[in-house]
Amino acid sequence: MALISAMYPVAEQVGASRIVKAVAIPHPCGDPSLPAELDGQLRREIVSTALKALETKVDTTTVFTPKVGADG
Amino acid sequence: MRLEMAEFPVRQIRLGDANRYQDGVLDVDRDDLTRLVLRDARIQSARFEIATPGDPVRVTGIRDAVEPRAKFGAEGQVFPGVLGPVTPVGGGVTHRLSRMTVLATAAYEGTIRAGTGVQRSALLDMAGDGAAASRFSALSHLVLIVEIKKGLAELEAHGAIQKAEFEVARKLAESTRGLAPARVEIFESHLARRGVPRVALVQGCLTDAQQAHSGVSYYGLPIRESLTTAIDANELLDGAVTVNTTRCVAYSPTSWDWQNHPLALALHRAQAAGRLSFGGVMLERIAFDNFHGKEVVAHNTAQLAVQLGVDAALVTWIGSGNAFVEVMLTIRALEQCGVKTTLVTYEYGGKDGIDSPLLYYVPEANAAVSSGSRDRWIELLEAEKIVGPYEAIKVLTYPGAPLTSARGRFTLDARDMIVGGVDNWGGDSWACELF
Repeated sequence: MALISAMYPVAEQVGASRIVKAVAIPHPCGDPSLPAELDGQLRREIVSTALKALETKVDTTTVFTPKVGADG
Repeated sequence: MRLEMAEFPVRQIRLGDANRYQDGVLDVDRDDLTRLVLRDARIQSARFEIATPGDPVRVTGIRDAVEPRAKFGAEGQVFPGVLGPVTPVGGGVTHRLSRMTVLATAAYEGTIRAGTGVQRSALLDMAGDGAAASRFSALSHLVLIVEIKKGLAELEAHGAIQKAEFEVARKLAESTRGLAPARVEIFESHLARRGVPRVALVQGCLTDAQQAHSGVSYYGLPIRESLTTAIDANELLDGAVTVNTTRCVAYSPTSWDWQNHPLALALHRAQAAGRLSFGGVMLERIAFDNFHGKEVVAHNTAQLAVQLGVDAALVTWIGSGNAFVEVMLTIRALEQCGVKTTLVTYEYGGKDGIDSPLLYYVPEANAAVSSGSRDRWIELLEAEKIVGPYEAIKVLTYPGAPLTSARGRFTLDARDMIVGGVDNWGGDSWACELF
């Protein structure tokens, strides 16, 4: 199981196994303020991070961070 | 700021031919007050009823409650930015009619059908178990029942209800002109005492930035995605902080609650007793929609507390849901800056009290005061009389929910629909039993 969550510290607290950092509570898997092309890239990045998280073996609560914005 | 608050307790409200206060009895002139309210073209009709503690009455359609207050002498005004200009308040002489409210009720369907902007109204039982669930059942109420023009959007409807409510409240308090109060209390907001801790109140405010009215206003301006704001504690006493009167939900305090903020009053009184120095009130907007925003506002509050030279803070909040994350992050940020904190919060816990009481927590939150659960179910018994605009209500709030007779017996899953059904700030009396 992988949980995409904007409130990832809350997800950590309840002990979710794989947590993917999301953008914001009203739009976890994208950013409607971005131009469509950049929003598309962001959405793909979040979903592929979640898929990678599912492929990863974890022993404890683990947070996966999509590459976004200046970090990307 | 130095405010002299003259108290005129009301033990009975009567319908009369003049607005007059004498020995705890308030006579109200319904015709005069109706004329006052109908000056606003947005109000179609207005009437008044009285609800007294112990009456077998259920009040419906409640939008807000306010304590009648008025200003005397050359200085100041009440409800700045709503009834008057944006000029400073919190000084001079204020008269209050205590032990009563003007309870604003209105039928209003709204133009928004669902979500955080949808209109909501609350109930109040004046007798029975329902009465025990609300601090407002112990007060006398002049119930204002307005009908607003059809088709008004939320912000216009709010403006009409609030103006009517506040104008009636001010007019009633003005009837104490020249009378001797039962009690006078002095509130000094800049009394720096040496050798005692300086304690501030951090007031988290959930505001819906995207809605026409965000939920909490300062001088009539809805607070949106602001950073933390330091205000003078006396401003609360003169009605500088007000609420959205199209949405009355128990986890959002009423105007009466802001005027009578129990934590602000307790800090004032502890200062007067020489135990501490009241370092003021910080309004902290909470419910940022990403974690970055939540971390920044928590940091910002701690920075402001340090700038204000605060040693300790009471941290409390209004609202529900993810906004509590900021509250905990704020406690952590304050403690990391050397500011000691105590949290005052209601609990969740579910209808039977067995679910998690808090959404989120940090290890630094090592002192907390619970003001009870907002989640426990409650059965309301039959009421003999309905006061207010609705004879039928929706017990569930989803769009298209069925109507139930307001007079009948029904069960509420939580206290949100009872005005005063949630004790946000620990103003009520609570006992605790260990199991």
